[in-house]
Amino acid sequence: MNRSLDHSFFRHEYGRLVAVLTRRVGVRHLQAVEDAAQAALLIAVEGWPRDGLPDNPSAWLFRVANNRLLSELQRSRRHGELERHGCDALGDSSSPATVHLRGDVRDAVLRMLFVCCTDELPIESQLVFALKVVCGFGVREIAERLFMTEGSVYKRLGRAQERLRTTALELDGLTTQQLASRLPAVQAVSYLLFTEGYLSSHGETPIRQELCDESKRIVTMLAHHPISATPDTFALLALMHLHSGRVNARRSATGGLVLLEEQDRSRWNTAEIALGLSWLACSARGETFSRYHAEAGIAAEHCLAPSFGQTRWDRIVELYGLLEAMAPSVLHTLNRAVALAEHLGPAEGLAVLEGMDVPPWLERSYFWHAVCAHLRGRCGQTEVAIQHTRAALAGAPSKSIADALERRLAPWLEQAS
Amino acid sequence: MPKYLCLQRRVPGTKPIATRPSPAEMQAMYEKFNEWRERFRAQLVDLGGRLGDGRVELHSAAADGPFVEVKELVGGYMVISASNLDEALDIARECPGLVSPGSGVEVIEIRTPG
Repeated sequence: MNRSLDHSFFRHEYGRLVAVLTRRVGVRHLQAVEDAAQAALLIAVEGWPRDGLPDNPSAWLFRVANNRLLSELQRSRRHGELERHGCDALGDSSSPATVHLRGDVRDAVLRMLFVCCTDELPIESQLVFALKVVCGFGVREIAERLFMTEGSVYKRLGRAQERLRTTALELDGLTTQQLASRLPAVQAVSYLLFTEGYLSSHGETPIRQELCDESKRIVTMLAHHPISATPDTFALLALMHLHSGRVNARRSATGGLVLLEEQDRSRWNTAEIALGLSWLACSARGETFSRYHAEAGIAAEHCLAPSFGQTRWDRIVELYGLLEAMAPSVLHTLNRAVALAEHLGPAEGLAVLEGMDVPPWLERSYFWHAVCAHLRGRCGQTEVAIQHTRAALAGAPSKSIADALERRLAPWLEQAS
Repeated sequence: MPKYLCLQRRVPGTKPIATRPSPAEMQAMYEKFNEWRERFRAQLVDLGGRLGDGRVELHSAAADGPFVEVKELVGGYMVISASNLDEALDIARECPGLVSPGSGVEVIEIRTPG
């Protein structure tokens, strides 16, 4: 009789309650909405183990939260706190709390995301706010996941809430044009959420996995909604699946980092890679070629290569070139140099490095030194390669990265000792 | 098997901490409570509940008097069965959320005639 709940049910339900109720009563009541969602979940914690799960837990929570919210708003209206907002604040409070349709809920959650993703807010604030309100993470959990202090999480949340209060934009008040113009910001936040989970070199695996899952959940919603089902959204989702499909092979049994050329390709998740490839196919329509297309294309080339040696490096070099043109970054140039070294040889890769304007932060990083050591060593510049090897190992942020570097740079490491 | 009344009591002089657990924490609480209930299913006679407002009826006219404090200190009750007081205490102690900073549980045997 005890049906079990999905392990992120409470978190996701929180996001759904906040979105649906905010849509009902308005963004200015966000605090009361969050309190009501919190209260409803607490009542469930006590009641469900005793009485068993209700037939429709989501509807049950909505009814409880809705009632709490309306009585709280009526109470504050009696206290005159709502006077300045006028009496429309309760909206359709007299109508019964109907069980909403799944599509409506998803629509509300997405609109919530569009309301908080605005260029007027720094992207870090957007991310923190989305993690709290859409993904249902608590302040401490957000701080842990983004390696921030709780104080700075509060500060960013505060800034976002303040901004939303003053703009007084409603979930249903966004025009089609506004929704379209905010889509890049929504995509950027989802992308940031994914990279926080996928690329971060510290933090525990389950926590990182959770961030990747959340970003995929959000972009899957985007991909299925008419306002955001665009080729670049599909490419973004493809990119996430194609990276996730290889994540298992990136870790050894002992938790060490496994380099791409060492990875056991049979450990890749073929079902997830297939999903990524099908979204990539969907993305290939229309005139747009976004940075997400380039990145998904690169990931797809890696996924489709039968072995490291058989990788189509020429395609990867070309895609990094396109990526650089659309989103200029020295990191993209660095990656192109590495791919070019595999394609045409270390001298060609090195020529790209030498032509780069290297910013100080990159010059201090372990990966700059690792790439220099590898390419210069292969070009016969042993002395310089040894120096870079030492610098790369000294700067490695974790044991697993240092171990991987030692394997990669073994020829020069031996000569260095 | 003897039955025991468990009373959740607030430790005098402490205020209940107004916590706002995150949704993930609430789900963890829910799952722990479910596990506990499954484990002691046979011994949980009545899961009871939280106590709300009440009134005291006395022989004399004193309506509130010394009972005020007691009323405020007891948060909830439940009834369990166990072979002895120690076992009853073990079950109560393991109930998630019952024993925490500022709150404890008092376990009393219910004596029935016969």
